[in-house]
Amino acid sequence: MNRTVLLFLLFIIMFAFSCEQNTNSIVVYTTVDQVFSEPVLKEFEKETGIKVKAVYDTEETKSTGILNRLIAEKDNPQCDVFWSGDPLRTAVLKNKNILYSYTSKAAEGIDMVFKDKDNYWTGFSARARVLIYNKDLLKDDDVPQSIFDLTDKKYKAKVAIANPLFGTTTFHFAALFSVIGDERAKLFLDSLKANDIVIASSNGDVKRRVVKGEVYCGLTDTDDANEAIKESANIGVVFLDQKGIGSLIMPNTVSLIKKAKVSDNAKKLFDYLLSEDTEIALAKSCAQMPLHKGVKLPKGVLSLDNIKPMNIDYNKTAGKLENIQGYLKAWVEDK
Amino acid sequence: MLYTIVLLPVLFLLVLPVLNIVVLTFFDSNLSESIASMSTDLFMLLLKSLAISGIVAFISTFIGIVLGFSLYKSDIKYRNVFRLLILIPLFISPYILAVAWKDISVLIFDIDTSLFKKTYSFIGMILVHSTIYSPLSILIIGSALSNISKQMEESALLIGGFKDMFFKILLPLIRPSIITSFVLILIFSISEFSVPAFLGIRVFTTEIFTQFSAFYNHNLAMLQSLLLIFICVFLLVSERKRISNSVFLSIGTRGKEVKLYSSRKIVIFSYIILSFTIVFTVFVPLSILVYQSFRTGTSKFMEALSLLLPTISDSTLLAILGSIISVFIGFVAAYYSEVLNKKLMNLMLLILFAIPSTIFGIALIKFYNNSILNFIYSSFGILIIGYVGKYSFISTKLIGNSIKQIPKSLEEAAVIQGIGFFKRIRKIIVPLVLPSIFASFIINFLFCFGDLGISIMVYPPGTEIMPIKVFTIMANAPESLTSSMALIVFLVTILLISLLFFIFKKIIAKYNVNY
Repeated sequence: MNRTVLLFLLFIIMFAFSCEQNTNSIVVYTTVDQVFSEPVLKEFEKETGIKVKAVYDTEETKSTGILNRLIAEKDNPQCDVFWSGDPLRTAVLKNKNILYSYTSKAAEGIDMVFKDKDNYWTGFSARARVLIYNKDLLKDDDVPQSIFDLTDKKYKAKVAIANPLFGTTTFHFAALFSVIGDERAKLFLDSLKANDIVIASSNGDVKRRVVKGEVYCGLTDTDDANEAIKESANIGVVFLDQKGIGSLIMPNTVSLIKKAKVSDNAKKLFDYLLSEDTEIALAKSCAQMPLHKGVKLPKGVLSLDNIKPMNIDYNKTAGKLENIQGYLKAWVEDK
Repeated sequence: MLYTIVLLPVLFLLVLPVLNIVVLTFFDSNLSESIASMSTDLFMLLLKSLAISGIVAFISTFIGIVLGFSLYKSDIKYRNVFRLLILIPLFISPYILAVAWKDISVLIFDIDTSLFKKTYSFIGMILVHSTIYSPLSILIIGSALSNISKQMEESALLIGGFKDMFFKILLPLIRPSIITSFVLILIFSISEFSVPAFLGIRVFTTEIFTQFSAFYNHNLAMLQSLLLIFICVFLLVSERKRISNSVFLSIGTRGKEVKLYSSRKIVIFSYIILSFTIVFTVFVPLSILVYQSFRTGTSKFMEALSLLLPTISDSTLLAILGSIISVFIGFVAAYYSEVLNKKLMNLMLLILFAIPSTIFGIALIKFYNNSILNFIYSSFGILIIGYVGKYSFISTKLIGNSIKQIPKSLEEAAVIQGIGFFKRIRKIIVPLVLPSIFASFIINFLFCFGDLGISIMVYPPGTEIMPIKVFTIMANAPESLTSSMALIVFLVTILLISLLFFIFKKIIAKYNVNY
């Protein structure tokens, strides 16, 4: 009996505290959906022989689990590379002094607007905020073309957005405040509220509601829109405000985490993520738009050249978010 | 001595991380600002959350009494199959169940009806939470019902009718379990975040989550969590007071044969109520998952299988280890609390149980993420510590209630005979509380196997466990893949639980205990 207990205890200790010791490895934390990010990381492993240990985030935690983990780990970082789905989260880390400034040669073909001026992050492959709509419920003539159309009475209680306290919807609203000014933005949000806008739990939930016909249309990201089209033939996509303020473009960002010694492997992955190959892979898997000029696009993927982007400074927009977060919370809670 | 041996690791490995984060919070330069921001609105929100969770706990416990009696006291056939089926909602993540019920509402009701809108609000939350937590109540109350001496019931039946026996004997005898079920479910419901977030209901946990995840204000989130902990401690202390005043403590002879009721009325009622519950809470959501999984063929199911297969062994081992340690700690804490009145470990486990998972995760990171303890932080050890910290209290409660029912005379007789402490535990106490040990093992296993809140904060880079894989993949996966994954998790869980039932039946038979 005692021997069995001892063997059992030994097994617990061996299993529980076993960890793979591999010096040729790096740790990546990513908020990009695992279905899209994992194949890219696997390809990097295949090409370089460097083992990638990844931590992914979940929709249930609003993709903020990783960010909080990075903040909590600040004094003894486990992560080498942070791959974010948008620049806002990265800006939070920059402000908390968690990132390491690095300039990659692979970023040379990317426009300065998509890079941090202090090189704490560099953008690549972008998504855009779009409107998806249910073709069975909205005729072509009735499809909104501007975000401001969503306050029209004919869409009352039939438009969904994700909770603006989290994710890319936060980014979208902060960008709106930056572009049209606080006063006009607040008026717009009040009008949305008066029009009984539906606040969904996430962009994925917006997609689900539109596909199932619970609402006519909703704001989401191009990767969700792409999945919605794959799931259902009755989904249409609109880049809003092409004659006005433009559509919000959200690049992925890659950053190195500040550590006693930033490894060469981490820099290799940083460079790899910024490569044209990665942009092509992401264009194929989730219709993300490459930021390098002249990258050959797969069929069905739009080029940034064909979209009027919203004219914003990403760092300033991150700063704007900090100012309006309290207002957004009150707005959501007042629903 | 055993108490000290168990108490020290509990103190240093589980409680110290939490104390550390509490101290950090109180020494933070923004403390006064954080305290000032806790307005009356927050306290109203806490009351609202308590009211909703109170309703959930009441409904679940009521269901637990009715179904617990049907399952454990009526003479029905295929009892074990029913027991297994009734547990199923516990296997399914609250978030997935909420999504499934919302989809069902869309299919059944017109989207503009008020009933549909209600499913998005409080009724929806109460419905989903009650569905999830009722099996917990059935297990707790059922376990207590199977511990009641047959002679007590038969004597009561000789004097009065069934109704008198049920209300005047049976219910008072299981009162501690009823109160435990109510309090545990209230705490579970008030701490759960994903369902109110999905249904768009503002409750106390969504407020904590917002501070944590939208404002990255860990200190305020921690302060708000302390309020939640205070409420939970208050509830548990009140519960203890109620139980200590109960007549329940003066009686009880365990290990005797269980009385089963074979009256036609009772048996038919049991079949109807059990079948209805299983259809409503198991077959309907499961049918939706099956439909969504195979609507476009079998390819998505196969894809989900290939994604989840590599995660099964590690997840199962982690959950089994977490459950074994939790049950062991729970047993020691319960025994010393009930028999020797040493309640410190109980209180510690309660506080850990009451802390929201994300906050506990942060506490673990802040404590273990350093060069000395990195060997724990970068291994599965951190997950086991997380599971044990979060869920051991469940074992303490369940096993504690059973230990209460053991007459002191049994152990006293053994002491007079000169039988040593460990032999008394092994030969008298453990066999008598085996059903509760099993029930708490199953509940702990289910919670560890499906845990997301702690796991997402601390799972080691490059490792894969099942709930993490399901939720990271489902973020942008097609509905058919998401449903297939939920279905596979369900199938794996039911297989493992069946296996555990089988093993435990053998153990129970060895000790000749009725269950």
